[in-house]
Amino acid sequence: MLNRRNALKQIAMAAGMAFSSPTLMAMNRREAGEAGPESQFSAISADDNALIGMVAEMIIPESDTAGAIRAGVPAFIIMMIQDCYHQPEQLSFREGLDRLHRQNFMGLSAEQRLQSLTRMEEETIQEMKAFQVKQTKMGDNEDREQIKKQASGLPFWRLMKELTLLGYFTSEEGIKGSFEYVPVPGKFELTRLAPGQKIYAY
Amino acid sequence: MFLNLTIDKSHRYDAIVVGSGMTGGMAAKELTEKGLQVLMIERGKEIKHIEDYDTALMAPWEFQHRGKVPHYSAEELWSNSRFGSLANEETGKFFTNDKENPFIEKRPFDWIRAYHTGGKSMHWGRQSYRWNKADFEANAKDGIAIDWPIRYEDLEPWYTHVEKFVGISGQKEGLSVLPDGHFLPAMPMHAPERHFSEAMKKKLGRPVTIGRVANLSAPQDIHTSLGRASCQYRSKCSRGCPYGAYYSSLSGSIPAARKTDRLSVLHDSIVSEIIYDEKTQRATGVRVVNQHTKQTQEFFAKIIFLNAGSMNTAALLLNSKSDRFPNGLGNDSDQVGRNIMDHHLGVGASARVEGFEKEYFYGQRPNALYIPRFRNWGNDKQAYLRGFGYQGGASRSDWKRGVGAKGFGLEFKKDLTQPGGWSIGFGGFGEVLPNPENRMYLHPDKVDAWGIPQIVFDAAFGENELAMRKDMMNSAAEMLEAAGFKNVSGNNRQDTHLGLGIHDMGTARMGRSPKDSVLNAFNQVHACKNVFVTDGAAMTSSSCVNPSITYMALTARAADHAVSELKKQNL
Repeated sequence: MLNRRNALKQIAMAAGMAFSSPTLMAMNRREAGEAGPESQFSAISADDNALIGMVAEMIIPESDTAGAIRAGVPAFIIMMIQDCYHQPEQLSFREGLDRLHRQNFMGLSAEQRLQSLTRMEEETIQEMKAFQVKQTKMGDNEDREQIKKQASGLPFWRLMKELTLLGYFTSEEGIKGSFEYVPVPGKFELTRLAPGQKIYAY
Repeated sequence: MFLNLTIDKSHRYDAIVVGSGMTGGMAAKELTEKGLQVLMIERGKEIKHIEDYDTALMAPWEFQHRGKVPHYSAEELWSNSRFGSLANEETGKFFTNDKENPFIEKRPFDWIRAYHTGGKSMHWGRQSYRWNKADFEANAKDGIAIDWPIRYEDLEPWYTHVEKFVGISGQKEGLSVLPDGHFLPAMPMHAPERHFSEAMKKKLGRPVTIGRVANLSAPQDIHTSLGRASCQYRSKCSRGCPYGAYYSSLSGSIPAARKTDRLSVLHDSIVSEIIYDEKTQRATGVRVVNQHTKQTQEFFAKIIFLNAGSMNTAALLLNSKSDRFPNGLGNDSDQVGRNIMDHHLGVGASARVEGFEKEYFYGQRPNALYIPRFRNWGNDKQAYLRGFGYQGGASRSDWKRGVGAKGFGLEFKKDLTQPGGWSIGFGGFGEVLPNPENRMYLHPDKVDAWGIPQIVFDAAFGENELAMRKDMMNSAAEMLEAAGFKNVSGNNRQDTHLGLGIHDMGTARMGRSPKDSVLNAFNQVHACKNVFVTDGAAMTSSSCVNPSITYMALTARAADHAVSELKKQNL
């Protein structure tokens, strides 16, 4: 798969600038009956890696259960940004990392780091208002989150949080540490929550 | 459990069934059980029941992208991806590579396909509702399109017949709008759903029922004898069920047909054409292209059932040209490929539910609630025609609520391991009117890798559907408000097109006259009586309920007629 992905990236590099707007790209795609080119997510340095780990661990810290780092979240985030997100998100993720590097985030005190992320979260709340996130019921069992497309990608903090939580709560450490994992329930039953009861994950 | 295929050297069978999906499977079962030697031809790869469900028992952490769709899959399954996460690693294998199977959108059409054993029965929504009496009379009453050549009473025994075999969990309600069927025990409603159901009855006089779903809540002998077991409430149906608990061609009809020793199955074989004999005025067989070797072969039979999926069935008719049928087999009326219908969806409302904090559940219910049509029903009269039903229900939020919520760190982590509040939401399924201008046809020059003309789609929702959608959103919001729920928010997804309901139908409609329809009251092509079309193509109107059980009932009825006509030597 890796070779194939690289090949796609090269095609994207060559063709990426030929289209002027996402709409035009979508129209071409429709006429040609194929998917559009994908963008390149620029290389991740060792510093980036450490920074992603630090921020992820601040979102889900080690406690009596594993934290984000022990659950393998940092590598998951990088892989996901490359594989599943489009250029606008890849760019805003890059910008977010660069911004934290400029602040010398990793060199800050724990207190200052907390302040920095708190500030970033406040800003993100404002920025997200422009995105109009909506849950749509498709019927049957399918739900879909709709995020209105914007010229710029989702903010860095939203991407970090989304991927840290996804990576953590779908990891073996995250699921087995936090929940009662029941892969084959065998029945469906209405119950009452007992005090301190762990919730089920399936 | 699948025996090696032995193809008869003469390539002669009593019946050929084109397609192995919901209706192809049912046709093969009915015809073999009635004593016919049947060849089922599937264009895609073979999937073996249970053995090939390789993601079925995988844990969440074993999926690299954890349910999201990577770029390379999104590109290969570009049309499938419009629905949502169909191209992900859990289920992507059971959808068709759109890039290798191109089609052309003169107007956008969301075509979701499944080229493999079992077709879309592999991952259908399993919701199974009978049509009501008025559904069959609606076209005649409204002066829309043409009248159905059959009525509810014609199909009633066949609904019962297929429901018993399929196994449908549901609650009898005694409603004329949603006729009861033959049900296995119903699944329970969550506490907030019971509250909602009671409030709707009291305040708006609208019934709410638990979904009627093709999952075995209590398997009967007819199911266990095929190796099917009770639902395990994992709600991972679309990966394929290793317990055979939900109905598919793979768990139900194909094993039943194999039991007779009269079924042969050919995979990787695309039927490109139906062979027509001018002298006998009958189809004699089909021409098949192997999807790997591209070699062609011919197979012959007394009767041919077309169950390739509505769009491909119509394409096959259109591509079967002869001196007698220059515009495609059975297309004297020019109706083949026209009147594309579907159900429009992605519109409804959701809300926050206060209270019920202690109410919890064990297991995952592969089902939801159903609110039957209430528009243009009884005394209700709207400016648009027909109506819609809602599906949806209540759920308790989990860690995903953290994505949009404020906070991070130890307390945040701890909070996300606790159950969140309840929310509730409903999405509508709206009836689409038949319109001859909504059509598909074959491109004059462009062909696919097998030399078969590509399909061009030229269809869109009309005024009636768009007007109905507004009401679908508003009425859902109104109901949630009436039940006392908070933060009610409506939604009406704008980027949906015909096809996204994956209920595409109507391209070879049944009718009374060869002048304006393709099929007669027993799904026979008017001018070529040994060709039967019993998939969604046969539909004359669309109702608003999920169609599969109706397609299956039509198929069983047509198979019964076919065998009795064969015995009378009329075919």
